[in-house]
Amino acid sequence: MIKQFNGTANMPAMWPAPAAAKQNFRAISGGGNVTSELARRRFTEMVLPHLDDAYGLARWLTGNRSDAEDVVQDACMRALASLEATTVQQPRAWLMTVVRNTAFTWLAKNRPRTVLLTDDAQLLEAAAANEPAASPDPEEALITAADQAALASAIDALPHLFREVVVMRDLNGLTYREIAAAIGAPVGTVMSRLARARGLLIDRLGRDK
Amino acid sequence: MNDTRDNPTLLLLHAAVDGELDAIGTMEVEAKLAADRELASEYDRLVALRDAIRARIPREVASDSLRARVISMARADGTPRPGASRRLTQIISPYRSLAASLMVGVVLGAGAYGVFVPAPAGDDVQQAIVAGFVRGRLSDQPVDIVTSDRHTVKPWFAGKISGPTTVVDLAADGFPLVGGRIDVVGKTPVPTLVYRRREHQIALSELPAPPRNVASEPTHQSRDGFSLMRWADNSHSYEVVSDLPPAELSTFCAAFRRAATAELEDNAKP
Repeated sequence: MIKQFNGTANMPAMWPAPAAAKQNFRAISGGGNVTSELARRRFTEMVLPHLDDAYGLARWLTGNRSDAEDVVQDACMRALASLEATTVQQPRAWLMTVVRNTAFTWLAKNRPRTVLLTDDAQLLEAAAANEPAASPDPEEALITAADQAALASAIDALPHLFREVVVMRDLNGLTYREIAAAIGAPVGTVMSRLARARGLLIDRLGRDK
Repeated sequence: MNDTRDNPTLLLLHAAVDGELDAIGTMEVEAKLAADRELASEYDRLVALRDAIRARIPREVASDSLRARVISMARADGTPRPGASRRLTQIISPYRSLAASLMVGVVLGAGAYGVFVPAPAGDDVQQAIVAGFVRGRLSDQPVDIVTSDRHTVKPWFAGKISGPTTVVDLAADGFPLVGGRIDVVGKTPVPTLVYRRREHQIALSELPAPPRNVASEPTHQSRDGFSLMRWADNSHSYEVVSDLPPAELSTFCAAFRRAATAELEDNAKP
């Protein structure tokens, strides 16, 4: 098992968050309207250095800049609030958790049709079934030749749960363990989602001329 | 055959591409690749995909206005309660751009550098660097090799530290080289260059960057009354400590980075 974060932001991969977690946020922020010096210092040390990664994830999950900014701002407020009560072992992975949860809340509310947020294996299988058969094998040269627009639209076309692992791994450079911590799933799940995501990317890029 | 993508060998292949395997795992994959041509071409495709994404998808960077808004959260005043965030956002949204530009002004005015405190791990490094600097100042012997010639310092380092060291001549920029010394950070010997400006000294240490390091611009902070700056490129991070005022230290860092880039390009030429 992966060592989990402690604290309120440690929510399971599924969203919406359990009621307990939400209440916990309330309890913390209800204590007073001034954030403590300690929380602000933790925030400066743990959140600010990873702001670009946070924004990058939000940008890929929401699909546009202004929504991503709203998500990141909201996520940072949640992060600041939860830092009152807890310290964090892996700040970057933890911030990714807060951002993805915030982004998924936002998506569920604003883009309910685009998002498939279940961990149900069958549904993920169904999503992956659109994947064409692995042979004939796509040409490596076609992948190498793919331009930015083709790559970006291929990534955008991935289901969110696949897209986020690709963004965290290939764009933000998180390790498998960090991603596992961020999405609250075992490393094996990270690996199989990453493999499926890349399979979809390769098929798409290898097909497009 | 969708299942092929979940079989353990393919997962191992991805882990190999991602540098997540230990030596034994790597050997295992190499053996499989040598024996199985289809597997080898899948490996090539994965590498091609990884490289294409890295090379062509630009890294997302938070805008200045977003950064300013987030930084303002870490300040003592004006931190909205999380529960109120949505409502507040709605109320201020007509004025958002105005508010954002004001915040940028405030943050820049207050010295945006000061807010960036490095991760705790960096503290030990800085402590060692500052200690080395203070010792050098107190002992009146800031360097182990005294020379204003960078071509003397470089080979001196080469005999003591593995890997090339960046040594540039900044005399024309008003920062003559005093010499070099070896500092020890944790258990790692690091090359430190000492430059001079009037009666002030600037010590610059070049540290091997941690894995998956991301290049960063210089950030400033002060510690024990000294000015510190740090930045990183893909292979190294640089720690600078000085008793110069921050503005002049920034000038130094800019000059050093410019010269280092120029040197790198010179070396790249045949």
